[in-house]
Amino acid sequence: MDALKGFRPYVTWANARGAWPEMIFSTRVRFARNLQGFNFPNRSEPRQLAEIRRLALAAARETGLFPRGHFIKVETLTALEKGFLVERHHVSHALAASVLPSGAAVSNDEDLSVMINEEDHLRLQCLNAGFAIEDAFRSALKLDLALGRELPFAYAGNFGFLTACPTNVGTGMRVSCLAHLPALSRLGSMPQVLENLSHLGVTARGIYGEGTYVLGDFYQISNATCLGRTEEEFCQNIDRVIRNLIRQEIAAREALLKGPARLKTEDAVYRALGLLRHARSLSYEEFMQNISLARMGAAMGWNMGLDFSTFNQTTLLMQPAHIQAAAGRVLTPPERDAFRAEYTRKKFA
Amino acid sequence: MLCEECRKANAAVFLKLAVNNKVTELHLCPACAAKKGMSLGLETGAFNISDIVGNMSGYFKDFLPAERKALRCGSCGLRYGEFKESGRLGCPECYAGFEPQLVQLLDRIHGASRHTGRTYAGGPAPKLSKGEAARRLAALRAELKVAVAREDFEGAARLRDAVKEMEGRHGRP
Repeated sequence: MDALKGFRPYVTWANARGAWPEMIFSTRVRFARNLQGFNFPNRSEPRQLAEIRRLALAAARETGLFPRGHFIKVETLTALEKGFLVERHHVSHALAASVLPSGAAVSNDEDLSVMINEEDHLRLQCLNAGFAIEDAFRSALKLDLALGRELPFAYAGNFGFLTACPTNVGTGMRVSCLAHLPALSRLGSMPQVLENLSHLGVTARGIYGEGTYVLGDFYQISNATCLGRTEEEFCQNIDRVIRNLIRQEIAAREALLKGPARLKTEDAVYRALGLLRHARSLSYEEFMQNISLARMGAAMGWNMGLDFSTFNQTTLLMQPAHIQAAAGRVLTPPERDAFRAEYTRKKFA
Repeated sequence: MLCEECRKANAAVFLKLAVNNKVTELHLCPACAAKKGMSLGLETGAFNISDIVGNMSGYFKDFLPAERKALRCGSCGLRYGEFKESGRLGCPECYAGFEPQLVQLLDRIHGASRHTGRTYAGGPAPKLSKGEAARRLAALRAELKVAVAREDFEGAARLRDAVKEMEGRHGRP
């Protein structure tokens, strides 16, 4: 666990902040960038990947944006350490699975990070608490400009920033909000909502990004395309879509409190709270289902005993690798579930 | 089989072209192919048929059936077919190599094929490690040799400048 020394259990980007903290967990803006003069990672030899990582980590240090930061050679980490970085959204599942030279630079308070040698040479991102598209965009752009002064990015006037996959070419930007939509989920409206989103140039993914399933009614909402409009226009589109989604979720929550539906909703929320308060073994999936309901209950004004920052931080800390990082050793799944139940019990007591 | 041009060396390059519903076959040795101005890039495995056809004549190009174009990136050697299978390009130069195809594809994916976002003026040349600099220098020298043999003086001059620039930046190994 040596590589994780210096990572604090709590992160500022998981604090409740901004408008609708009960619905928008965090905002992320990432840029895909590649170095001119090198093949993309999928067509690079290990020695070239090592060279790219060396250059990228040195450039990240040079920017001055990573004081007391973490500079990591990902393939040298244990499975548990990689899992922790995946759960923190600094590294993707795909990068964690790779045995080739890859890396990550993470700022001390973990709002900025650079993932090295995933699909592209660099995936740089800013993670901010709550609904904060403008702030996250400004910070990510600052990092992008600083790195672009240290390294030659692959860029063409007609196509923009060049990426391994044409779905990312152009601005190379993806702006996403992690939205909690439990009422729309309970009403069974999500398939229709997702269908509508697809017509607005927007994609919804699971909590850990591409190809991951939905847990605890959390959806990562992001732009589906990134070419042909300016960065600001893509941000504005996501901003509009998120505000509209929030209105729909608010309407769904009101529907869940109307007439006979109210008793059913109240019963579901307090049963979930009972389970979180008393269970002796809690799988991650079960934890997420129930904390999602309790979180919705808190948003409806019922006393769940936790504020939204604690909801967020607890959600983060109860992930499988985080549990083991807290325990300081590898745990079997039954041990993890027992640890999770014990921690949750204390939090909700 | 002997080269149809010089009749001395073995033919290593085989071109089959369909023109006016008639198939024309050409067997050439690498040197003759190079003399004809075909940038085959055989040493690096890169073979860009659109370059060859482009160099021969526009007339040929028009009659070359699309499926016969073994389109390859002149820089990393990725075949367009490989890209269609994997969905991943091989290097930044692939965008120039496959531009017409990509424009169509980008229109389908993004509803646009032109970047209108932030521009980028370029960054400094990276400070390469000694090993990587030496490897790149060796590759440039090899390309220079081929260009000289091919009597491609323009290309040779450009490569000579690149070698000098590399030597200046990283030192002569």
